[in-house]
Formats: sequence, C-alpha cells, structure tokens
Amino acid sequence: MSTHTQAPAALVLAKAAAEKKYPARMPRHGNASLYRRVVIGLLTIAVLAPVGLIVYQSFLTAAFFSPRAQFGLDAYKYVFTDRNFYKALGTTAIFSFGMVAIAVPLGGLLAFLITRTDIRGRRLLEILVLVPMFISSIVLAFGYTVSVGPTGFVSLFVRGILGFVPWNIYSLPGMILIAGLSHVPHVYLYVSSAMRNLPSDLEEAARTTGASIWQVSRDVTLPMVLPALIFAAALNILLGFETFGIPLVLGDPNGIMVLTTYIYKLTTLFGTPTYQLMAVVAVVLILITLPLVWMQRKLLRNARKYAAMGGKGARVATLKLGGSGQAIALSIIGFWLFVSVALPIGGIAVRAFVDAWGEGVNLLDHLTFANFDRMLEVPSLVRGIVNTVLLSVVGGAVAVGIYLIVGLAGHRNWGLSNTVLDYIVLLPRALPGLVIGLAFFWVFLFVPLLTPLRPTLVSLFIAYVVVGLSYGLRLLQGTLIQVAPELEESARTTGATIGRTWKDVVIPIVRPGLAGAWALIMIIFLREYATGVYLMGAGTEVIGSLMVSLLQTGAMNTIAALSLISIVLTGAGLALALRLGAKIHD
Amino acid sequence: MTELVVSNVQKWLGGLQILKGASFTAQRGSIVALLGASGSGKTTLLRCVAGLEQPEIGQIVIGGKTVLDGETKIALPPEQRNIGLVFQSYALWPHRTVKENVGYGLKLRGVTPADIEKRIQAILDRMGLGHLADRFPSQLSGGQQQRVAICRALVYEPRVLLLDEPLSNLDAKLREEARYWIRKLILDLEICAILVTHDQSEALAAADNILLLQDGRIVQQGGPQEIYSNPNSFYSADFLGANNIVKAKVKSVDGKSAIIGGENWSLDGTVREASGLAASEDARAVIRVEQISVSDQPQAGGLEMNLDDSIYLGDRWEYRLRRGDFVAKAHGAKQLSTGTVWARIPSESVWVFSAGQR
Repeated sequence: MSTHTQAPAALVLAKAAAEKKYPARMPRHGNASLYRRVVIGLLTIAVLAPVGLIVYQSFLTAAFFSPRAQFGLDAYKYVFTDRNFYKALGTTAIFSFGMVAIAVPLGGLLAFLITRTDIRGRRLLEILVLVPMFISSIVLAFGYTVSVGPTGFVSLFVRGILGFVPWNIYSLPGMILIAGLSHVPHVYLYVSSAMRNLPSDLEEAARTTGASIWQVSRDVTLPMVLPALIFAAALNILLGFETFGIPLVLGDPNGIMVLTTYIYKLTTLFGTPTYQLMAVVAVVLILITLPLVWMQRKLLRNARKYAAMGGKGARVATLKLGGSGQAIALSIIGFWLFVSVALPIGGIAVRAFVDAWGEGVNLLDHLTFANFDRMLEVPSLVRGIVNTVLLSVVGGAVAVGIYLIVGLAGHRNWGLSNTVLDYIVLLPRALPGLVIGLAFFWVFLFVPLLTPLRPTLVSLFIAYVVVGLSYGLRLLQGTLIQVAPELEESARTTGATIGRTWKDVVIPIVRPGLAGAWALIMIIFLREYATGVYLMGAGTEVIGSLMVSLLQTGAMNTIAALSLISIVLTGAGLALALRLGAKIHD
Repeated sequence: MTELVVSNVQKWLGGLQILKGASFTAQRGSIVALLGASGSGKTTLLRCVAGLEQPEIGQIVIGGKTVLDGETKIALPPEQRNIGLVFQSYALWPHRTVKENVGYGLKLRGVTPADIEKRIQAILDRMGLGHLADRFPSQLSGGQQQRVAICRALVYEPRVLLLDEPLSNLDAKLREEARYWIRKLILDLEICAILVTHDQSEALAAADNILLLQDGRIVQQGGPQEIYSNPNSFYSADFLGANNIVKAKVKSVDGKSAIIGGENWSLDGTVREASGLAASEDARAVIRVEQISVSDQPQAGGLEMNLDDSIYLGDRWEYRLRRGDFVAKAHGAKQLSTGTVWARIPSESVWVFSAGQR
C-alpha cells in the first residue's frame, strides 16, 4: 500500500506547494495575542511618535508650537543650500570611513590574538579590551584633550624634550584616529565571537599541509571571519554617523563639524532655536542611517549562517606564539591599551586633582581636592551626579522590567506583531542619542498630557529606554531564548496559561540573566550624554549632558571632576556586571 | 471507555504536509503506541493532541470534550485539554524541587495545600521517590528524573497521558525495566496513554495497540502480535523485526500462494501485496530472520544453500547463507562449518510484495 500510494501523494504535495493551496491556519488561542499586540503597539507608539514629530517638524516653516508655523519646504531649502551642511556631511563621511579603516583591522587583529593564540593574560585582556566601549565618548574625548591636547600633560612633556608637539588632535585626522582607536572594542566583540565559533581543525588542517601561522591566518581564518568583519565595518560606519562627543570636543574648537554637531550648533547659530532646521538635518541623518541598520541586519543573518557551519562545541586549539611572538603581540595590545585607555583616563585622573598646570609647573605642588569641593558647592552638579546614579541604578532596573515585558511579548511569537517588533527595534539604532533626546523634548512639549512630565526625570528615563531599546531587548531576548521550549510546554500541558507559564517558569529561570542585563543597562545609562542635551533642565541634570553644556563655558576643572566621577561609576557598574555574571561578550 | 478520538488530522508546515489525515481512538486503561521512523509525523501527531501544534484540518475529542475542530475553528490551548505530557527530555523545571514540580498541576487546579501535600507524597511513594521530595532535578539520576516527570504528568489525573519517547534517554537495561513498570502503572491506574516511540521492541512490549506511521499517515494498526505477524505492506513488514529482504521474480501465482525465484533458486511464498501479484512481475520478499532454520543435515523441503560464515553473537550464532543471488541471515544455537547446509523456510513466512515503483 505504501509504495503504491507514494507517487500520487508526492504529486499532490508538489502541486499544493506550487499553488500554496493548503488550508488556512487555525487561530492560536491562549497565546496571549492581546497582550502581545498591546505591548508591541505601545512600543511602536513610543518609538514612532518622536520620529513622526521630527518628520512633521521638518516640513514646517517655524517651530511646531509657533502660531506662524505653516507647511512648507523652507527648512529643506535653507539646509540644502547651506555650504556648512555639505561640509558637515562630507566630514561625517570621511570621519566614519576613516574610523572604520582604523578600527576594523586593529579590532580584527586584537580578536585574533586574544581568541586564537596562547597570548598571556588573556582573561584580563578580554575585559580590558572592552573598557573604551563602556566609557562615554565625551569623557574619552575630554581625556585626550587634557593628556595630548595642545596644552595636555603628555604634549607639554614631549614639547619639553623635542621643543614642539608633533601631533594635533584638534584636526580631522586626530579625531579619526581617536574615534578609530576607541571603537576597536565594537569590532573586537563581533569578530572574536566569530573566531570562537570557528572550529580549529580547519586551521590545524592547513598547518599540517605545511602552512605557517601567518599563512593560516591569511588563507583560512580571515576568509572565515570575513562576514563578521564586514558586519563590524557596517556597524562602525553607523556609529560614525551618530557620533557626537568626539567631534564636539575635538572638532568644534577648530570649526570642524559633523552632522550631529551641525544640529547642535544650529541652536546657537540663530540665537533662537530653529527647530525646523534641526528637524531637517535629523531627517537627513535618519535617511542615511536607516539603510545602514537594515543592511546590518541582513549581514548579521548571513554571518550567523556562516558561523553555523562551524557546528557546535567546536574545539578551539590556540596557535603557539612563541617567545618573540608573545612580546610582539603583547606590545601591540599594550600600546593600544595605553593610547585608548591609559592616556585619556590617566589624563582625567591627573587633571581632576590639580588646579593649574603648564610649562615649568610642578604638578605635585598643585595637588588639590578643590575641584571636587567646588563641585559640591554647585547644586546643579550635585543633582547631576544624584540624577545620573538614580537614572542608571533605578532607571536601569525599571528599563530591564520594560524590556522584559517587550521581550515576553515577542517571545515565541509567530504573528504579524512579531515582524512589527523586529522593525520597530531597528529604528532607535538609526537615531543618534542627540536626535532621540531632541525628539522626546518635542514630544513632551507637543502632547499636552505629557507636558507636566517634561521637567522631571521621567522624560529623560523614557528617552533612555528608547535609546537602550535595541541593546537591552537583544540582551533579554538572548536570555529568554535559552529557556528550553519543553520547559514552557510542560507547564502548558500541566495546566498553566501562558501568563502563568511566564510567571512561574520563564521569569524564575531567567532571573540571573536579568541581573546581568540590569548591570549592563546601568552602564549604558551611565555613559549616555547626548540624549540629555536637550531634555535636561534645572533639576534633571545628568553628568554627561552637564559636561556638554560646561564645554561651552570652558569650566575645565569641573569637567575633569565630573569625568572622573563618571569613570568611577562606570568602573563600579562594570565590576557589578562581572560579579553578576553578565555576558559582556555578547 | 473511549477517552481520545482523533479523526482526520492534517497538518502543513509551510507548503509541506506533514500529517495526512491521521485517525485513531484510545481507550481507558490501555496504551496506544505511535510507532514510526523519524520524520514519520508521530511526534507531531502527539503534539497536535497536546495542543502544542495546531493542525489545519481535523477533529480531536479528549474525554468527551472537543478540543480541536477544523470546521468550527475550535482549538483549545494545551492548558484547557486536561492532559499530561511526559517529554523526551523530561523538561523538569530546574528551579523547583521535586515536590514543587509534581505539585504544580494541583496548585493550578486550586487544590488545597494540605491535599496537595498528601497527593504528592502518595504518588512519590508509589514511584519509590518519597525520599527525594526536596531535591532539585539536577540532583537526580536520569531514571529518577523520568519518574518525577511521569509523576508530574499523572498527579492531577489527566484524561489522557501522552508520552513522547519517554525511554530514549535511559540506558538499555533501565529501559527494559521502565517499559515494564510504565505499562503496569498505566494499567493499574486505568488511564489512557499514548506512547510515541521509534523503538519497535518498546512498542511491542508496552502497547495494547500499535499505530504504525509512515510519511504522515497511519499505514497499519493493530495489537502487537497482529502487527508483527500479519503486516499488510512491505513497509510494515520491513519496519518490525529483523528481516531478510529478497529481490526476486514471481514465477507463478496460485491464489494467495506464489513461487518466487532468481538465479538458480526458487521458494514457495505467500502473496501479501493487497492488490495482488501476477507472474513474471518483480517482487520483494520479507523473511523474518527467526523463521529460517538451518541444519547441516539434509532436510525434507529444505533449500540447499551455501554457508559463507558463522558469526558468534554471544547467546547465539548468526549464519550467512547464499544461493545464487539469494542472500540471507539466520540464527542457530551452534557453530556450523562453512559449506553446504539446508535451510527450511516455511512458505507462510515468505511474505511476497511487489517490488515497488522505484
């Protein structure tokens, strides 16, 4: 019977597949579809409303609350005929690609040395390499100013020997170099995980045929991790377009502008806020970054496909570096760490404890706590510190709760709402923090119901939640997906509704992952500086955004003290994250 | 009493139909085994009964309650079906103790804490797990975990107990014990159980009724003896038991009996093909290994064959026989020397099927 009926059955099957003629799906009952739709709907509003407002504002002739505001393309006309805009656009492109040209080869090399060789001190290096990623770029940029800026400590020391300073960080190449070095961790993160998944028998096979370490790396390892490298490059171009701190600190004094600083400068250019112009530039920025995000998503899928080829539990045998190899490898990493971690942080640490420096000044004579004492006398600075801690510790916890709610809404969800969620999460990644902050500032002005919240920390918190959405949700989805489906299914067959299953099985199992996510979100919120630039007001100051506004006044002593506090807080957050077992390598 | 009625369940995955109209019923106090190779749809069918998969067409009634109806678009979620499911991986919740794992279904059904305590203790004691109540699943052996999983699925007295390859993670010796006590437990408690397995000996030993699945369809169903000794298709005949498959030509057919043969040999057999066979057609014959008896003495009706080798298997010897293009395996108690032997193959044990399309 079987063999006789097989052929016609196969025929019917092929026909059904060709015509897609199979019955409609049964509705999925008891799958919390209402909950999923409501949560994803609310999230969609929270993300789309600010973006929509930006687009709306860009087509008005004045600020949206002004009675003179009319629809018109005046703002576009102004921006597209402004020479400075094109200059900023060009600079942004050069900056981004230059940054990639530095960060990708260096990040790839670091990843190779740390994951594939027997380099010494690997455990420590794995963490140290990521440090620049956790420090806000405005702090890093400021750190470079005080150490290798025209009158920085290191510059003065070098001038004492050579009679001149052989570098100038207040230039486009200087900015590119510094941004490139500080974005190495972003490359390292992706490439190292790809390298870890690479089964070493592929390399061993090449070695047994007589290839040297370097031939193996070039002919086997590099092609295998190429997708990850391309992905990291795409990510860094995106980050380059969104970067704000480094161009603001290093480019602005010499009038070098990128798109984000161009937006920022528009505020001060006309004396009154020119919302429509800012909106136009933001729209342009989104139109550039959105395709980048979309491309990244495609790349990531391909990269995963590639990695899956390696199979599971691939044994990683490390390449032996040998004595001189160790020395070379360690000095490469050491030099990079010196330039991108020790220089800025060291500079800040010194600068925070002196009140005067210059040629012929002995720093030891000027050691002081005055910078901190003075800071404590200014209420806004004290509030800034308290608010920052509050936002990151408490806000971070609440944000994890929100990401969990969203994560559950997307957890084993097969409906249309899941596709919506996928795309909605992409959008904030295309928005620089500065633009998100600006957009939420407008939302809180625009929606009467929300206006009372604007001068409170809630406004900042909501903007931060959206800023951290992609990262935070990815963290939580990664944790949720580790719960074996049978554990949930067995609760369902035992008689639990989907809500009970989440409450009694899923959440208790992922609880350790939640703690780790909290610590990481805390760091993200700690280092955030761009979002608060427009949103913060008297009473809602945060450290990063305070530094941005203090830069205009040149209060270096205060900035140094704030920077140090920010670094210390970040360090504490990182220690907590490691302690809680957060997967900083994901 | 019929607890489970499954009728014409069809399921697609993308454009691929993975269940093509499965129908069966299951009674109280009996075990139905869904037996099939991997990819035959047996686990999907079980998950459709549990409500973890949604078929597009069909009807499922559990304990008199319609839980799935493709016509009226009823599809109750798993928690409303009053079933118990034992997973292949056991799926014990790692953050709950044995007691909490087992008691969860009772808690969900609003049983009072005192009652819960009593019922947990009763079922754990019955399974010999009473002393492990406060342990966590990771502190138990595989066999203990499996028994806890069964307790968890049984304690709230579901209408139907579903077992998805419950024995496949146990080692061979434990497995034989487990299939015995699982059968005993189900008969004692008079529950209706559905057992999914790819292991024929498990199905034969544990089930009252076996459904043999192939390619999303139930190709044969019946009691273990019926399905083993009276297969209705080449697939059924081949899937169960240890077999010799012989390719041959039909020489002559007389009603149900036929003579098949090849290069320098011929055998009397029984036509098993439902649609019958005609002379000079290509055919395949299935002969169970245990049906061939071999002797080094000439025997009446014995086929003279060449013994290539005798292989020692511990409890018995395996003979490798050959005559022309007829190659066969048989078992015996003693070592035979290579050379000419006589094999007796009863004609009712030579099941002749058509050679198939491919």
